[in-house]
Amino acid sequence: MTTSLPLGTVSSSMSGQFGTVLIFVLVGFAFAGIALLVARILRPSNPNPNKLTTYECGELPRGSSWIRFNVRFYLIALFFIVFDVETVFLLPWAVVFRQLYPLPGLGSLVLWDMVIFLGILGLGLAYVWVKGDLNWVKKLMERPDEVVSSDGDEEVAAP
Amino acid sequence: MELLHVNIPNWSDLATHWRPEVMLVGTFLLALLGDLVVRGRRPAVPFTVALVGLTMAGICAVRKLGVEGGTVMGDLVVVDGLAAFFRILFIFTGLATVLFAWTSEEIMGKKRENKGEFFALTVLLTLAACVMAEARDLLMLFLSMEAVGIVSYVMAGYMRGSLRSTEASLKYVIFGAVSSAIMLYGLSLLYGMTGSMQFEGIRAGLQTGDVNAFGLLVAVVLVMAGMSYKIAAVPFHYWAPDVYEGAPTPVSALFSVGPKAAGFALMIRFFYTTLAAGPDANASAGLIAQINWPLLMAVISAATMTYGNLVALRQANVKRMLAYSSIAHVGYLLMGFVLLTDAGLQAILFYLLVYTFMNLGAFFFVVAVNNHLKSEHLDDWVGLGFRMPWAASLMIIFLGSLTGIPPFAGFAAKLYLFTAVMDRQWFWLVIVAGLNSVISLYYYFKVAKAMFLMSPPEGADMSPLKLHWLQYTVLGVLAIPTLALGLFFGRFKGLADRAIEMMTTGL
Amino acid sequence: MTADLIFVLLALLTLVPAVWVAFSRNIVHAGFSLLLTLLGVAGLYAYLGADFVAVTQVMVYVGGVLVLILFTVMMTRVPQNGRPRHGLDRFVPAAVFALGVFGLLYKTITAVEWAASEGAVEPTTAEIGTNFITSYIFPFEYVSLVLLAAMIGAAILIRERRPEETEEPAAPAPETEEEVAS
Repeated sequence: MTTSLPLGTVSSSMSGQFGTVLIFVLVGFAFAGIALLVARILRPSNPNPNKLTTYECGELPRGSSWIRFNVRFYLIALFFIVFDVETVFLLPWAVVFRQLYPLPGLGSLVLWDMVIFLGILGLGLAYVWVKGDLNWVKKLMERPDEVVSSDGDEEVAAP
Repeated sequence: MELLHVNIPNWSDLATHWRPEVMLVGTFLLALLGDLVVRGRRPAVPFTVALVGLTMAGICAVRKLGVEGGTVMGDLVVVDGLAAFFRILFIFTGLATVLFAWTSEEIMGKKRENKGEFFALTVLLTLAACVMAEARDLLMLFLSMEAVGIVSYVMAGYMRGSLRSTEASLKYVIFGAVSSAIMLYGLSLLYGMTGSMQFEGIRAGLQTGDVNAFGLLVAVVLVMAGMSYKIAAVPFHYWAPDVYEGAPTPVSALFSVGPKAAGFALMIRFFYTTLAAGPDANASAGLIAQINWPLLMAVISAATMTYGNLVALRQANVKRMLAYSSIAHVGYLLMGFVLLTDAGLQAILFYLLVYTFMNLGAFFFVVAVNNHLKSEHLDDWVGLGFRMPWAASLMIIFLGSLTGIPPFAGFAAKLYLFTAVMDRQWFWLVIVAGLNSVISLYYYFKVAKAMFLMSPPEGADMSPLKLHWLQYTVLGVLAIPTLALGLFFGRFKGLADRAIEMMTTGL
Repeated sequence: MTADLIFVLLALLTLVPAVWVAFSRNIVHAGFSLLLTLLGVAGLYAYLGADFVAVTQVMVYVGGVLVLILFTVMMTRVPQNGRPRHGLDRFVPAAVFALGVFGLLYKTITAVEWAASEGAVEPTTAEIGTNFITSYIFPFEYVSLVLLAAMIGAAILIRERRPEETEEPAAPAPETEEEVAS
């Protein structure tokens, strides 16, 4: 079944809107640049090697700052991206929701479309939650065959 | 106010055409939920859910066979003869994998983790493969391939703590990402040339005649590259041996059949719809004339089978050997693509059907051996024929069929492929394929020789090995069609023929 | 004229940092240069009238994927003997290959008559939203399954394991991260 639907709110030309964005960006850069330039002109210049140390209070850093980070950061970042993508999908739906929901034959589609989408992803959230992937301090899951013997409360590597 | 012309999708499509897949989605979600409810402590729960769900979906899919299909919720996905054929194949593969994984030490061993998720993911891979066979739009083509890819990457790396498995997963991801990118570029070229995402629309765009031949060739080669990766055809096969060897063996079995057959289903629909002009008996006239498609495919096919067989000769690890042998079989299968004729495509479908049984059987035997010996090396297999006589005898059936020796199904399947190509005067390709079959006899026979004919070294452990009853059952169920299809192939060949007919004439 | 100028600026914003990404010997610098490239791509999308895609590019790539890339860099092992240097033996084949690909694509792009759409540039978000609910509802729902699979997969593959379950001699356990996480 093919039909014609009203499409969004008709707005002014889009290139004009992005032109505004561009001007904003340019003004932003210019503002920061001018501020730095003015500061450079006004401030006294008094170079001192102590100013270049990591901690000006005198603490000497030991070792390299390049260390391996915990893989938990990565896991959290991955979950973040999944939900980031989810919001990207929510946005266009939200834009047309009010307009399309009252239309005959579309109401159930508009609503259930997103309910199913969010439901499936909600299961993903439940999964990582129950499995303890969201806990920063890990409580390692006990193995199935150890269920009876221990409560599995050992805490590991709490930073 | 501006108006947008759209199709209002119909929920009822899900119940009429897509019921097996809806069951698969439900099974996946339920299995996952079940695993959460028992907090991963009782893998039997997701296992049972997956088993019941796959069985029900399979019954439903069989009952839908031959029923007129249609598009599902819009124009992007179609259930026609081809899709109906392939989804039965995929659900069967998924079911066999779930059953065998249950008995596999590599998945269910004491120290393994995430046992429950394995069954949920197998169901999801089955579903994703079904969708791949149903896609008829560039967007769904890409999305379905990515879905299969993502699940595959996870399953390849399932054995946590095993470096081999992790390496397999990593290689799979990297090769997958690169080939996806290449394919995506090709798809964008096709879209840019024809202005359509639908396969039909692309064909219409290409047939207007004013398409640049060079651009089309580049686009087709790029798309072919992405698909070659999925089916592991030369020169995009690099990942296959490492992934098949490193992944848990039940997963290797699944990979060598599920995603591969799905890749073929997608290729059949995509290239047939876009490049062949229609159900035309004189297909070479119907093919888009700007590119020399037959030669391109013939060269890829010959290179793939020759490479796979020659390298398989030198393998001492049975799993790796089977990986190369599955590359060789892709080479045979690609023969059916050379002219995009109905006969060729039907031969591909029938071959895939037979290949599913024999290849799953061979890999599952490796699982069974692996449970006891913890080794896939041929030297450790010496004398296996006396330690597990029944299972080893079944393995002989699978190996014989993989070679293509007469009483077995592999022979009938190869016969159809060879005649389809011979009909179109591609004699050199048939000769190459024939020589390759002879080569393959050698390395398949090597396994049989190690199991039955070689005498084990002094003092070797010769105690009989017992298999789980499920393993006997599954191996037996796989062996029956591997034998029977070699003798009574008419009915099943008819199935494949009707699937292609339904795709080419309707929808 | 102004439009051309904007295009050239955006193309430069995309390409110059991209060159830096490819040639920088410092992987952190390469990661941050990618930020500018991704922003440039977003600008190009906006320039072509794909406003929603441009915003998505900023949200997902600049906001998410780039963070992920930088985390990945932070998780790699510290280079022991400085960063590796590649000689001409690596550079020449790579350059030949890259130029070959460029030539191929250039010829394709110039040879083909593209089926371009000649429409006024208009906001696309509402149209995309309507399509999500109607013509493209199937891929829309399917994406949620793919995302779910990605999430579970990430959790399974990355989740930390009990140390004693390593079967093969793996790399030594990662160093302590007290300083980091505090």
